[in-house]
Amino acid sequence: MSNPDSRLWSGSEPTRLLASQHLRSGALVFPPVAADSPLAAEYRPAALDPVGTVYSYTVIHPAARTGQAPYALGYVDLRGPVRIFGRLAGKARPAIGDRYRARPDADYGYTFEYAEDQR
Amino acid sequence: MNAVHIAGVAMTPFGRHTGTHAPELAQRAILGALDDAGLELADVQAVYCANVFGGMILGQLVLRDLGLAGIPVYNVENACASGATAVHLARHALLADQYDTVLVFGIEQLTALGGGTIPMQRNDRMTDLYARAGLVLPAVYAMRGTRFLHERDATREDLAQVAVKNRRNGVLNEYAQQRTETSVEEVLASRMIADPLTLLQCCPSQVDGAAAVVLTKRRPTGEHAVRVLGSVVQSGLREAPGDDILDAEITARAARLAYAQAGVDPADVGVVELHDAFTIAELLYYEALQLAPHGEAVSLLRSGATQIDGRVPVNPSGGLLAKGHPLGATGVAQMVELTWQLQGRAGARQAGQPRVALAQCTGGGIAGVDHAASSVHILGV
Repeated sequence: MSNPDSRLWSGSEPTRLLASQHLRSGALVFPPVAADSPLAAEYRPAALDPVGTVYSYTVIHPAARTGQAPYALGYVDLRGPVRIFGRLAGKARPAIGDRYRARPDADYGYTFEYAEDQR
Repeated sequence: MNAVHIAGVAMTPFGRHTGTHAPELAQRAILGALDDAGLELADVQAVYCANVFGGMILGQLVLRDLGLAGIPVYNVENACASGATAVHLARHALLADQYDTVLVFGIEQLTALGGGTIPMQRNDRMTDLYARAGLVLPAVYAMRGTRFLHERDATREDLAQVAVKNRRNGVLNEYAQQRTETSVEEVLASRMIADPLTLLQCCPSQVDGAAAVVLTKRRPTGEHAVRVLGSVVQSGLREAPGDDILDAEITARAARLAYAQAGVDPADVGVVELHDAFTIAELLYYEALQLAPHGEAVSLLRSGATQIDGRVPVNPSGGLLAKGHPLGATGVAQMVELTWQLQGRAGARQAGQPRVALAQCTGGGIAGVDHAASSVHILGV
């Protein structure tokens, strides 16, 4: 794919999904606080762990007239902690507790891919 | 005298009013509420108009031809909680002695949007990013449904039973859009929308309607004067990792404040209209409104207590699932229904002889909060 969205992904390899970390509380915010935000000075960039677990999910079934196949969406909890919403790819029906890996995506900025390693 | 009463109420049937413009639709409710109150237009000192997608200065548009002599008109938007928020603000003005009598109406014409789920408020990086991935309100509720089925002793049939109950009530309500009964089997066999929510577990998206209430500080002369005992609007807290998406925190908070304000115990509530935009929502709100202890929502539903002839009937109007959910009108229409219930005027769907009623609605459409707004009103006779 083309280069990952630099607002969401770190530049170094392996690229990591970015959050903003509040300087005082340490709380993580996703997506990262915008550079033009008046709150930007209160945060620093933080690279996230690539793999998290599904907290909840749904499978959307678009109307037949759209021609779209069903797709899964969900909340993924990553170490930090931070909870991120996104597409869940690689498995038709996710399960709560499944491990998913964040990866860049040209359409959505990022998606979560079912992780081969489900330790 | 600090009591605020509901002097009169009216609403249009909820349904497809294709080709009808906003003034003709809303004026029916407005004039009906004034007639119900035994008042004239000239008795109203201010008007509050609740709406989400109707465009600017809708209140003035609706009122232009009624000859209201230039009185203040306030246009109120708070997503699906717009109507309840308008009542809340109108009550503030009455309590502050700005007016004696005001009119609140809500109107929405969702058929003009062409169907489908309502759009998110995307003027925000987070909401836009999540909406691009597919975040819509049915998905939000569906994820709550998934988690509910995972954590609780609950089945898909329990979710479906909420739709069965409310559709059964809708049959009895001439104002409801959906007036046919359904079954658990039919609900579960309807088209999957956002797993575990099937089509019949989602409120209809093609609906128009208007509702109006007259609020006054002058005690109405009738035997069962309905009083606004509590009125609360709350906003959502920013989501945090580890949040429990089943706790409906914003609504639980609004309910606690409303009960305290009204001096009412949850056990005293005799009838409820709540925001069942999706079946799972009704179950979550049983607990948030303290109609059931934590973890007991399904038991309450299965017990039959929330049916029309139960201990605490919920959504005797058919709720959003059967009556329909024209956003700006919904909160006002809940209070119309509860006024009828408290005054014994609800006809075939009369739910006993309640003395205390509770209305609850939420407004959403942005990422990063449980809901943007939640409102709880407690009414009594």
